[in-house]
Amino acid sequence: MTTTTAAPSPLYQWWVLSARTLIPAVRGGELVTALVAPLVFTVGFYVPLQRVIALFTGGAVDYGQFLMPLIALQAVAFTAISAAFLAATDAVHGIDRRFATMPIAAAVPLAARLSASTVKCALSLAAAIGCGYVIGFRFAGATAAVGFCVLALTIGTVLTLGADVLGTVFRSPEATTQALMLPQLVLGMLSCGFVPIDQFPAWIQPFVRNQPVSQFASSLRGLADGTGAALTPTLLWLGGILLVVVPLATRTNRRQR
Amino acid sequence: MSTTVTTPENSVPALVRHTGLQAGRLLTRWRRDPMTVLQSLAYPVLLLLMLEAVLGRQVSAFAGQDALYGTVPMVVVMSALLGSLAGAVTLGRECEAGLPARLWVLPVHRASALASRFVAEAVRITVTTVVVVAAGVVLGFRFHRGPLAAIGFLAVPVLFGLAFAALVTAAAFMAAKTVVIEAISLLCTLMLFFNPGFVPIGAYPDVLAPVIRNQPMTSAVETMQALALGGAVQGPLVRTVAWSVALVAVCAVPVIRGYRRAL
Amino acid sequence: MSPSTPAVLVEAVTKSFGPVPALCGVSFAAEPGEVLGVLGPNGAGKTTTVNILSTLLRPDSGRAVVAGHDVVTDPAGVRRAVMLTGQYAALDDMLTGFENLVLFARLLGLRRRAARARARELLAEFDLEDAADRRVGKYSGGMRRRIDIACGLVVPPRVVFLDEPTTGLDPRSRQRVWDLIAGFKAQGVTTLLTTQYLEEADLLADRIVVIDRGTVVAEGTPAQLKQRVGATFCEVVPVRAADVPAVAHVLRRFAPAAVVEVAADRVTIPAPHGAGTLAQVATAVAAHGVAVSDIALRRPSLDEVFLALTAARPRFEVVA
Repeated sequence: MTTTTAAPSPLYQWWVLSARTLIPAVRGGELVTALVAPLVFTVGFYVPLQRVIALFTGGAVDYGQFLMPLIALQAVAFTAISAAFLAATDAVHGIDRRFATMPIAAAVPLAARLSASTVKCALSLAAAIGCGYVIGFRFAGATAAVGFCVLALTIGTVLTLGADVLGTVFRSPEATTQALMLPQLVLGMLSCGFVPIDQFPAWIQPFVRNQPVSQFASSLRGLADGTGAALTPTLLWLGGILLVVVPLATRTNRRQR
Repeated sequence: MSTTVTTPENSVPALVRHTGLQAGRLLTRWRRDPMTVLQSLAYPVLLLLMLEAVLGRQVSAFAGQDALYGTVPMVVVMSALLGSLAGAVTLGRECEAGLPARLWVLPVHRASALASRFVAEAVRITVTTVVVVAAGVVLGFRFHRGPLAAIGFLAVPVLFGLAFAALVTAAAFMAAKTVVIEAISLLCTLMLFFNPGFVPIGAYPDVLAPVIRNQPMTSAVETMQALALGGAVQGPLVRTVAWSVALVAVCAVPVIRGYRRAL
Repeated sequence: MSPSTPAVLVEAVTKSFGPVPALCGVSFAAEPGEVLGVLGPNGAGKTTTVNILSTLLRPDSGRAVVAGHDVVTDPAGVRRAVMLTGQYAALDDMLTGFENLVLFARLLGLRRRAARARARELLAEFDLEDAADRRVGKYSGGMRRRIDIACGLVVPPRVVFLDEPTTGLDPRSRQRVWDLIAGFKAQGVTTLLTTQYLEEADLLADRIVVIDRGTVVAEGTPAQLKQRVGATFCEVVPVRAADVPAVAHVLRRFAPAAVVEVAADRVTIPAPHGAGTLAQVATAVAAHGVAVSDIALRRPSLDEVFLALTAARPRFEVVA
């Protein structure tokens, strides 16, 4: 005679919860959005600006090759914002509290959301690279490609973790997404991923040079080109974000017990 | 009795009075909502500043004229369009709460409810335009064709914005709301990148030029550009008016019917 | 309007939403100054009826007259005479209580100064002066309901439609609303009260109309309706169950054997004279020497009326 006891393994729970997030996303078309967003960014940024930038730089800059890292970054940032939306929705509907009263380890729901987001992130990145190839972007080699993807996914995961914490804390899906879209737009536009840094007015160049998205874009560009650009600032930024976000994440998810 | 105004419900003075009162309510509501204030005032100015900082020099070099004369109209028209989206969302929420029904049962002119929404929208668009133009003036924007053209400059986004608001409202009534709002947001984003206010038409691949030239937002932007800087006004103006009239003509009946049903 | 004209008259009103029939011929009337309760399960057509009477909807056929104005030919007249307050207390929650009152007053035709004065009057009357400058969105449930009704009374209406006015209110707020309704009656205002709370209808309504599946299934005073479904019973519970046959024997003096209901622990007979029957039965049972644990009058509740009248009707007629 078999008995059912409530002692499932955390791994199995994680798998179930990840599926819970992913399967409706597939059905509901959220995955389509993750795939389409890079396309929109590519078309919106590249097509209008390609000739303008070429003229201004006298043809020195291949805009397709130049722009690609930013498209990848915008794509992963977009999935991070969706993660914030999901986390906020879960929090506001109280399902977090429901899980907290069940024999589920506190880290499992968070891990499930992260893994679901990472899947979306990877798909979005793949779509972004596909778009990049269409506009003329090429990797310097296989190692370059691998390095690029690893860094991009790492950035995506760190941003997703931060966004998830923000969403859980603020509990308002709409307000959180609106609040996060602003930095995405501002930091994305005011970065050297968008136009070469010397084209910015002198007074804003210090900001542009040192802000995190610029650093991320430079590192990604260096990896893709094979020129091995400075990874240190990027890693420092990522480390800094984690230092802030991980304790917050532990505290938010534990407080809900 | 001097304390009451006794006019029949369906008279013109009643229409004016009741529209004014209800529009005042909407404007007070928007004024008090921080999100609406941000989206109507702060975001457009921020977008203008960013576009000027990031792409100002390059676009000016390509166009042979100051990029501001494209960016300012584009930002104004874009905020009008996005604002009407937000307005449709507000209307949806109010219908769910039952407020429009409550006001409908009062002895007010039957057209005042919808009229007041459009009047309030027109006021909001005008305020946004003035604020964005002021920011543009700080950056070097000037009206080269005199005060009459400046008034036309203010009127064009109101005309086009109201026509677009009619479209959005009709769409929101006819289909599931979130899908409509997302689709229109996406459309607006695309229109933002593909209009002559962002970069001149010559910068786009030749195959796209006809599409961009005939996109509804283009005519509004071109008219405003011509009114501020110079160049042919008549052509773009006629196209803008045609687009607006067409949108209103197509959407008027669905809007009215949809509103009655949503009560 | 002569005293014999009903304040609200509904004659054979039908309404369909596409293929779905919401009202299949509703007829009833409300006299001036009366409180008419409208009961019915969800989806029965109560809200549709109220919406037609307040000119939000047009009937497909039939006639509806409110305060002497036909809802189809003279809706403006209807709107001048009615006040509608819905379940969710529809006000602009970003305006203050004072601003909402002034808005409604001005929309109803008062000039600005008169509107402000009337607003202050109503705030005092409804005990909302402290909250006058706070946004309605921050009011408690009871306060929202009070300001909602206050907004409807800016210009005195002749007919008031209250759609589930006490849903979600705490007992004190509910009592205040009931007092207000009593006040309407005193002023000769006709009230149409839609409610799910049967005790509320029982307490407040002069007459009740029960609507189910788009038609009126019963109409009458609460007492009449209760009588239709059941009468008052007298119930005797002896201390020892073994005494039940003895009690039944005694009670057969007061009612035909056929209606004496004998259960395992109690005996029940109809009590046509109410308390009088109770007194006689008590005396008789005591004289017989039976120790009684409980003796009571059991009146049918409006719940029973409601459930009986709106019970699911069989879909198909079985031909025996």
